[in-house]
Amino acid sequence: MTITDLTSMGEPQADARAEINDRLKRLQDHASDYCYQCAKCTSGCEAHKLLELEPHKIVALLKRGLITELVNSDVIWTCMTCMKCRERCPQQVAPIEILFAAKNLAVQSGKELPGKYTAMLQSILGTGLLQEVQTVTTAANATMTRDQLGLPPLSVPSDVAKFQASIMAIAMQKP
Amino acid sequence: MSSQRYALFPGCLMPTEQYAYELSLRASLPLLGIDLVDLPGLSCCGEPMKSVNQTLTLYLSARNLALAEQQGLPFYVPCPQCHLSLHETNLILQKNPAMLERINEMLKAEGLHYTGTTRLVHTIDLLYDTIGLDIIKKHVTNPLTGMKLVVHYGCHAIRPKELGRPDDSENPQKVEAILKTLGAEPITHYPQKLDCCGAPLLPNKPETALAKTGQKLQAIQELGASGVVDVCPWCHKMLDSRQTKAGETVAAKLDLPIVYLTQLLGVALGVDKEKLGFTLNLSPVHKLGLRSQP
Ligand code: SF4
Ligand code: SF4
Repeated sequence: MTITDLTSMGEPQADARAEINDRLKRLQDHASDYCYQCAKCTSGCEAHKLLELEPHKIVALLKRGLITELVNSDVIWTCMTCMKCRERCPQQVAPIEILFAAKNLAVQSGKELPGKYTAMLQSILGTGLLQEVQTVTTAANATMTRDQLGLPPLSVPSDVAKFQASIMAIAMQKP
Repeated sequence: MSSQRYALFPGCLMPTEQYAYELSLRASLPLLGIDLVDLPGLSCCGEPMKSVNQTLTLYLSARNLALAEQQGLPFYVPCPQCHLSLHETNLILQKNPAMLERINEMLKAEGLHYTGTTRLVHTIDLLYDTIGLDIIKKHVTNPLTGMKLVVHYGCHAIRPKELGRPDDSENPQKVEAILKTLGAEPITHYPQKLDCCGAPLLPNKPETALAKTGQKLQAIQELGASGVVDVCPWCHKMLDSRQTKAGETVAAKLDLPIVYLTQLLGVALGVDKEKLGFTLNLSPVHKLGLRSQP
């Protein structure tokens, strides 16, 4: 289902709309209400070139309070975070930040994380970093480790238990 | 030349697999008077988790900044994504006392405190603004003569401008200026210059991510460039390590040397090629004909 289909359905949800706007205000100065639907954001959108993301329609959904539609749509997970929409919007609206807020709400409402996000989060919890240190292959097909290359040991959290406890606490709280 | 001390913020991707970036910046920057200090206890900057939980991103960034504050050192952040995350966190916490308090409350568990005084630099502004082209020029012993290079800036190094990026959002030229100082002949404009490498889609849509990479590289190859210079471990992973696969998505045989700016800097400063990680580039870097000495 595309966003266009979605805008023709559903009831506006004032509370959820206020929550996203609140969240955006806490994090930055941009307000979706100023969007005049010029679609300049969509014209440069990297994800639009390859997928179906149309950032001006994301803003329209928020303005109209169609939050369930926004949060449940898979298309919000296709943003490439190129930030062209935020950079170029003549009205200082930031569709990318609306997308981040919508994805956060989707996670908070218990929607399953797509793709590799769960693995990434687990890795941060376990090691402090997105992934464990990798053995790499050279152009000549030899394998090399960090140590063999003479690089110093990785810097990682010294007290993993405390580090994990803080992250778990954040995951439980309302953002 | 007096030396300047910087704490290195390695991030995740560079120290766990993009070793050519780390090797080359460690080998070349000290020659320009930059002393890199390794800090213990660092973690992910949190940016890759922004889609999942933005508070987590703020917490992780503030946590790393607090570790730098303890040492009273500025942070050198070679990954543009980390650089953006740390910078944005500073700005958000400056404007938002309630969030600042909440984050500091959480940091107490690890005995940390964030105030937001850490200065940040990325490779681009460290070379262009902090060190400066004059100093770099004085140290070039092995100029990159005849190399027609294209610069891929990626997204996070230049956008959004309001979040203090190291170069201009619509017409970045600092890396080209650095390359000219190193003796190369950069191609300063091309239509796809501001386009994304595709990496942010890796966790969710890996095939589409590669298609993005393939499209951009194909366009660059048609320009007749000798090679592509990048300044981001994520971009490099796509353009270099995944180049062959990216070519398949656009049915093109891609054959473009991809190098980190710091690798070329090292060559031009006369650092032995062995120390700059060139064996780790999977793209055909031999085509650049780089030699360790003139
Ligand atoms: S968000 Fe900005 S660029 Fe996009 S349609 Fe609205 S006003 Fe135009
Ligand atoms: S940040 Fe996301 S929504 Fe905005 S232009 Fe880039 S891909 Fe499109």
